[in-house]
Amino acid sequence: MLNVDKLMVFYENAIAINELSIEVNRGEIVGIIGSNSAGKTTLMNTISGLLLDTKLKEQRKGGERITIFGRISFLERDITDLWADERVKMGIVLSRERHPVFVESDVEENLKIASYLLSRPVMREKIEYIYKIFPALVPLRKRKAGFLSGGEQQMLAIGMSLMANPTLMLLDEPLLGLSPAIQVKLIESIVAIRKEAGVTILICEQFARPVLPVIDRGYVLENGMLTLHGTGEELYNNPEIKAAYFGV
Amino acid sequence: MIVYSMLIYGLINSAILALMALGFNLAFGISGVANFAYGAIYIVGGFITWTLISTLNIPYAISAISAIIIMGVFGALIYKFIIKRIRGLVMSEVIATFGISIVLLELLRYVGLIGFKYSLPVFIEGSVEILGAFVDIQRLLIIGLMVLIIIALYLFTHYTKTGLAFRGIAQEEHTSLSLGINPDRIASLSMGIGSALGTFAAIVILPLGTITVDSGYDVLISALSVCIVGGLGSTFGVIIASFIIGYAQTITAMYLAPHWTMLVSLLAILIILAVKPSGLLGHQKELEERV
Repeated sequence: MLNVDKLMVFYENAIAINELSIEVNRGEIVGIIGSNSAGKTTLMNTISGLLLDTKLKEQRKGGERITIFGRISFLERDITDLWADERVKMGIVLSRERHPVFVESDVEENLKIASYLLSRPVMREKIEYIYKIFPALVPLRKRKAGFLSGGEQQMLAIGMSLMANPTLMLLDEPLLGLSPAIQVKLIESIVAIRKEAGVTILICEQFARPVLPVIDRGYVLENGMLTLHGTGEELYNNPEIKAAYFGV
Repeated sequence: MIVYSMLIYGLINSAILALMALGFNLAFGISGVANFAYGAIYIVGGFITWTLISTLNIPYAISAISAIIIMGVFGALIYKFIIKRIRGLVMSEVIATFGISIVLLELLRYVGLIGFKYSLPVFIEGSVEILGAFVDIQRLLIIGLMVLIIIALYLFTHYTKTGLAFRGIAQEEHTSLSLGINPDRIASLSMGIGSALGTFAAIVILPLGTITVDSGYDVLISALSVCIVGGLGSTFGVIIASFIIGYAQTITAMYLAPHWTMLVSLLAILIILAVKPSGLLGHQKELEERV
């Protein structure tokens, strides 16, 4: 359903993503594993279209020159030059890294802001559905999102992405800064979301251990280049991965 | 006696300042664009209303509403065709909007906007006596309308989809964009609504005097000083600041001399920038306040 074909991204002359081709099929959970500065966030921002906005802003300022080569297509349509909000309408919704919530609004309002593209009755239904997936958010309804813990903020951030009605959900480092116990819980809900809502998920992470068991396929990224590709199980048992990511 | 009239006229003056500043503040709080054409929009809005009433003989209410709509669309178009290209470059935004302001105001001066005939009629004639002070009904209306506008803004930003999107964009543009909210659309809407609010303020306030070109610059300075003192982008701060500056002006006019009042707002900017540069409520960035 998503095809990234020979994608290259440059910041000035530094290469962030190098001839990367990946593919996501309907109903899959696909993982992108990589350490810091591997190009994960750049890849997510390119697929969601946010990078085009950054590029334009930098251009206006006369700042960093961002260059994108290659093609991205979604549902058989070329979306390489499509603006981010149009991609959201097509069903590609990104949950950005570091728990992107509106810190000055309360939890319920965050969900309401995220429902921009929905009609009112659908919005109410959806909000109830998100409270069902993340019951921990129910007692926090009226609390300002800035006062939530990292785990709660991440649940809210995923909930907000779900409000936008995704068919393909991009999760950028959802486990960043969370305790192992909450990491496990979050992964469980991600699997549940795939199963119940039928959402295809592309998740990028540097904590490979909790992610690898649940993904169907995974790509390993290093300095913007694809180094390994395989099913979750293959990657989990790969000695190099074990050495690099599990510290074994 | 004089204390009572000071209290009442101070309240009216504060309401006038708040009404002037709200539109400027809304556009700045949402889109981050300091609209220096605001004073010009205020005067042009008043002038359009006057033209519709006096030369085309259109009823007051319809003229007022069409002027508000025209200036609202005009504000949105300024964003769409000019500011969109330089968004994020603060200095360019200021130069561009101030340029628009000069063009509009000096054009009005050129076509001859001078004289007492350029004044809008009051809504309701007459005055009432409150605690020994005679107050025009128009001035009382200003207080009521200010309260009404603040309530309407609150409801708009908390209960409508567009209003909620406003609050999203004001907080985090990229997160909003990743949820399908187009920042340019929202920013141009906020400029439009800001300009419409400015025109509304003009139609309510201008009947107290005549429409003059120079008051366009004064309105801009008043709106700016109230917003800077209150904390740019904070609605609650704007209300507090307009009361502080409003009463300070009234007291100065009564006990010192009326020609010192213009200094009050400039002095307020100076003091607040020296003591607390982010403004009275600038540090909190609470969204209820930023609307």
